Amino acid sequence: MDQNQFAGKIIEVSDLTVTVLLAGGKVKNKDIMITRKDDREYPMEVSEVTGSLARCIPLVNVAGLTKGLDVYSTGQPLTIEYSDRILGRVYDSYGRPIDEKPADSENVRNVYARNLQMPEINIDGEPLWTGIKVLDFFAPMQKGFKMGLLGGAGVGKTVLIKELIHNVYTRGGSNSVFVGVGERSREGQELYQEMQESDLLDKMAMVFGQMGDNSVARSKAVFSGLTLAEYLRDEKGQDVLLFVDNIYRYVQAVSEINAEMNRMPIESGYPATIESDVSTVEERINSTDKGSITSFQAIYIPADDITDEAVQVISSHLDGQIVLDRKVAEKGLYPAINVFQTHSNMMEIDKVGERHYRLVNEVIRYLSRYEELEEIIAVLGVDELSQADFDIFNRSRKLRQYFTQPMFVAENFTDIPGEYVKIDSVLDDVEDILNGVFDEVDESHFSFIGAIPRE
Amino acid sequence: MEQYIQDMIEQKKQMRPTAENMREVGCVVSVQGYILEVNGLDHVMFNERVIIGRHSEGYVNNIRRSSVMVAVTSQVGDIYVDDEVEATGEIFKAAYSEQSIGHIVDIFGRDRLVGQVFENLEYLPTENPTTPIMDRTAVNRPLETGIAGIDLIYPIGKGQRQLIVGDKKTGKSQLCLDAIVNQKGKDVMCIYITIGKTKKNVKEVYAELARRGAMEYTLILAAVNDDLPPVIHLTPYVGLTIAEKYMMQGKDVLVVIDDLKRHADNYREISLLVGKVPGRDAYPPDIFYTHSRMLEKGCQHKCGGSITILPIVETKGGDITGYITTNIISITDGQIVLSKKAFDQNQKPAINYGLSVSRLGGAVQTPAVKKLGARVRRELLSYLETREVYQLSNMDEMGPELQARIKRGEQVLAGLCQYKYSPMSEETILEKFRPLYENR
Repeated sequence: MDQNQFAGKIIEVSDLTVTVLLAGGKVKNKDIMITRKDDREYPMEVSEVTGSLARCIPLVNVAGLTKGLDVYSTGQPLTIEYSDRILGRVYDSYGRPIDEKPADSENVRNVYARNLQMPEINIDGEPLWTGIKVLDFFAPMQKGFKMGLLGGAGVGKTVLIKELIHNVYTRGGSNSVFVGVGERSREGQELYQEMQESDLLDKMAMVFGQMGDNSVARSKAVFSGLTLAEYLRDEKGQDVLLFVDNIYRYVQAVSEINAEMNRMPIESGYPATIESDVSTVEERINSTDKGSITSFQAIYIPADDITDEAVQVISSHLDGQIVLDRKVAEKGLYPAINVFQTHSNMMEIDKVGERHYRLVNEVIRYLSRYEELEEIIAVLGVDELSQADFDIFNRSRKLRQYFTQPMFVAENFTDIPGEYVKIDSVLDDVEDILNGVFDEVDESHFSFIGAIPRE
Repeated sequence: MEQYIQDMIEQKKQMRPTAENMREVGCVVSVQGYILEVNGLDHVMFNERVIIGRHSEGYVNNIRRSSVMVAVTSQVGDIYVDDEVEATGEIFKAAYSEQSIGHIVDIFGRDRLVGQVFENLEYLPTENPTTPIMDRTAVNRPLETGIAGIDLIYPIGKGQRQLIVGDKKTGKSQLCLDAIVNQKGKDVMCIYITIGKTKKNVKEVYAELARRGAMEYTLILAAVNDDLPPVIHLTPYVGLTIAEKYMMQGKDVLVVIDDLKRHADNYREISLLVGKVPGRDAYPPDIFYTHSRMLEKGCQHKCGGSITILPIVETKGGDITGYITTNIISITDGQIVLSKKAFDQNQKPAINYGLSVSRLGGAVQTPAVKKLGARVRRELLSYLETREVYQLSNMDEMGPELQARIKRGEQVLAGLCQYKYSPMSEETILEKFRPLYENR
């Protein structure tokens, strides 16, 4: 602690801000300052300097702080390990290892350092199949893409993220980084245990700033995680998978800090700087000539309101989105995807081929007619439909059932072993359902299966 | 004029109370209900307990440049501007006694039925840091509620947080009382936390539990609706600190929080009063964190103990997509949704099987129940959806498979009905539902 300079004294304390009266030394934004009381250390990050006052956000609970305590400046922003040692490790938002393994470090790096210039960014990539029927069919994924998984509370975002980790990471063999932002500690524990049990821990690095942590921790986890992913991309030249669960919580944490600093909010209490806050994160998630970062980001939809400002701002950065819907989940159809709002920039004839493209359009046409028919049936019953409509009705119901899938990570819920389905089988099956090959088969045979079994 | 102001300042200065002792003394300069602004306390700690006017108590919740803000937690007499405020040099803590099991208590260690403070009080922090990820282990032991719709279809495990959500009068509290009564003889300690309930409500809960012999292992930690808002706010946190104390001794604890919507509204009141920036629906932007850090206390600890939390949230008009409700759904490990419609159709407990979720599912069930439960859930959901589409159709014209499915669905739904305090054991559940699937 010798290198730390005396910086000033505390003059104000509230839950999430500490104001320091500076002694005259130079202090800049994002510097870490430290104060001590009764052998406890209270680190804080400078977020505003006005004249001789520095407003800081404390990284820990401030109970016990008093006016007049001495504050020291480290002259450094937050840092995290930047070496091969990150693999198989678990960090907290501030880059401190929390997995009871040795904490000595080789090389550390400022978590805000990296930013990409336009010439560095690479936009090419090959398709990346997930083995999840409904995803590969409606929203195919490409290496280097940012895919958002949007959904309200309790419709299955986390299960889907875990299935993606299972299918893409486990099969693909590339290194990956998992960032837990404002989600459940229990899930963090489960992920760690699962990775350990399946011997996959050595290729993954994890950062957690979970929902029991204060807003500062939750707002920093993503920066620490990004730095780890950048290490793998820039220094090791790898194709990295980045899982973020849940990026909305980052914006939420920033709003909490904003309110505590008494800065003027925009609608729903979000910070006025929301656009730039999201951009600083999203613009760093890109591929370069050296390596790629493919990311899956869960996005929570507050109050089931998809027009929410934060959701809209985040999704404008994405290459595709998968929308999970409570109305679908209610019917027991999992993954509970709303196919009308789900899309991907890869859904073009050049990229997926004419057949895939045509089938998607045809299925969407069937399903949207089905929605209309449901209303008619509610009044008149099934028997009043014309033969053409009756076919659409029946085949659509089969398609809906077909797009459910037993997932590897959901065996606890379904008691059915998971299935990985190749895209070619999906296209064949969908085509046959549309052509009426299975008109005589009861729809329950399509529910929670992989590909349709053929003789 | 200037002279007049100068005189007034001098006069005030002389009136300012000073005491010749170790403790620091300040004075009240403004009173806004239960939030005070106090001058002169230059060295108090954040969250320090202070004594106001020698009779009331509060704690420091904001240190400003020339004053501090104090939230009043117990008010015995009137508080006037200029009253002296004495620092105590200690952090505000809750009081608790081991003897309070079986009683209705508040966070000051008082028995609310007789108004007496317990002996052997120990002082607990109102809130501990959350249990770290690495100190947790998997949630995989069932907590039997005795309700088939829960134990079979949306199970609750020890260490799980399962939200109970529904309109007024749909049986939310009843479900929790059933769960508590069913813990008899299972070595689970129960804590029922009431937030802003009426005194009558609290007494009713006590009477119900006492009549069924459940008070032997239950503690009711009550904040009633005329307690001071800072006390109402702290009560669930204190309840969980008590739970953590027992968890660290290796015990299983079941905590019911009734209810969090009231807690959110209470916190909104405090926040707006102290001038925090309002967010969606005028709730403060940290409302999520307020509840997330509370419910994150629920866990299976590596020492063997666990805290299971059943928070209750009241909704309006059956809408579970409200801001507070979805916030809490996004924190808990699942939700049991109770619907007025089902209640009125005399399907009790009035669980909406479509909207309820358990994120742990079969992981917390025994293998036999898990196998049956997955099957029953899948078929029940498909029946409920099919029933709506085909409600106008003629049964005879349907395919035989569809007919059989609809008939079995009806049987399952009827089998899930259960009167209050008539729990089903695991064996009963298996005996009752297994035959339905035997011949397939």
